[in-house]
Amino acid sequence: MKEIAIKAYKCKSCGKIHYPFHDRCLSCKGRDFEVVKPLGNGKLVTFTQIFNLPWGFDQRFLIIGIVEFENGIKAMGQIKVQSSEELRTGMLMKPSWEPVRVEQGENVFGLKLEPI
Amino acid sequence: MRDVAIIGVGMIPFGRRDEDTLMDMLAYASLKALDDAGLGDKTVDAVYVANMGAALLQHQTAIASSLVDRLSLIPAAAEAIENGPASGASAVKNGLLAVASGYYDYVMVVGGEKMREVTGWRATDFVATMTHPLAEYVYGITLPGMAGMFTRLYMEKYGVTREQLISVAIKNQEMGALNPYSHVEMAITKEGIYDSPHSVVNNPPVADPLHLYDACPVSDGAAAVILCPLEMAKKFSKPPVLIAGFGQATDTQTLQEREDPTDLKAVTLAAQKAFDMAKLKPGDIHVAELHDAFTILEIAESEHVGFFKKGEGGKAAISGKTRLGGQIPINVSGGLKARGHPVGATGVAQVVEIVFQLRHELNKERQVKNAKNGLTVNFGGFGNNVLAFVLRRVEQ
Repeated sequence: MKEIAIKAYKCKSCGKIHYPFHDRCLSCKGRDFEVVKPLGNGKLVTFTQIFNLPWGFDQRFLIIGIVEFENGIKAMGQIKVQSSEELRTGMLMKPSWEPVRVEQGENVFGLKLEPI
Repeated sequence: MRDVAIIGVGMIPFGRRDEDTLMDMLAYASLKALDDAGLGDKTVDAVYVANMGAALLQHQTAIASSLVDRLSLIPAAAEAIENGPASGASAVKNGLLAVASGYYDYVMVVGGEKMREVTGWRATDFVATMTHPLAEYVYGITLPGMAGMFTRLYMEKYGVTREQLISVAIKNQEMGALNPYSHVEMAITKEGIYDSPHSVVNNPPVADPLHLYDACPVSDGAAAVILCPLEMAKKFSKPPVLIAGFGQATDTQTLQEREDPTDLKAVTLAAQKAFDMAKLKPGDIHVAELHDAFTILEIAESEHVGFFKKGEGGKAAISGKTRLGGQIPINVSGGLKARGHPVGATGVAQVVEIVFQLRHELNKERQVKNAKNGLTVNFGGFGNNVLAFVLRRVEQ
């Protein structure tokens, strides 16, 4: 199992957690951050099933959602279910780091989520 | 700062325009605006061209330089403005500030986009390039997908229903069918898209809970306006329309970093600034063009600009308050939903439509009676860069 390679950034001045990276804290404008990793499972904040996919995805649909990890990091990921009807906001999701798309024949890894 | 008026407008019908290049469309809309202003053979001091995708879709850059050459506007200053789907309003803002400052007297702003030249697959990817590369784009998220996630949150928090969303689609397509500039000239019924066996086929989900008829089409099109100081506007034949107020605000690029992802703070701030500058309130507005790329956005924006309280926008839409003759007619042009959404053109087209309304030029099927004040909201990204204008009819 690959490590979840998301790096979030905790402001050393006020403690606000950022993901993705910002050069200055969105709350206090501080410039010093501690790298923090997502902790535990994620709670599903919202989701959708997309049927009109962008270039680069040769499949019928994608199910994408946003989760909040136990330490407050929020991140987008692809959800491993066959229909969004299997999902409800607030569900707990197990994260993994797997291929999310292919670019020039190479796998690109990202956050995958699976209901617990 | 000088008061700035719109003295001419021009637009070409939106839709699939296979016969025209991007430059053709920009030129046609520009010439219509120059003629509408009655500028004759005179030139302008500066040209701002709003466009999001020429470099990606047409493999063409420096399009403002090409346009002034084609229109024989040399040596006018010229530049392109790219600000995602808010490029149009951004270009109008730049024109406004240039005239208001006193640096230029006559400015032309034209917005255009040619999106149907590529497949839907490519067009969807092109629009998605405005999302965050690592935190969003890589996953295959699209703008309909962002809107789907936003809609789910809005439904859960405020009780917005699919019937309310559909009422926006029905209203806007009904009005679009009356607008000669519309991409979609087809009225629809609730039965056809919601509560009949046919609706399952007619109106499939595109990014649940949003369905096909919740989304705007992918369009080609262009629109233009001519600006000058109000004091110089009175000598032209068409009634000038004052840009009484404008506002712009930004928000986080990703939805997940917003404390409350249902709160479109940039919409609220942009509209407040525009109202403050115009010394008007939401209740003083007679007609509005809101950025309904998705039906949920018309409802959410109608609340965030202050027409309705949070949670009341969907009820207002379904009860007819936003129709022609209602409390505040919204998108009587058909909006993005029916007029279409050539991304770089949209913000300019919204201003053109309000100018038509405030000049009282439309036929009675679309004209808001005695309209004096209008509002536009152009929504960039997923609400991370928003511009609003308050326009006012100038009584001669």
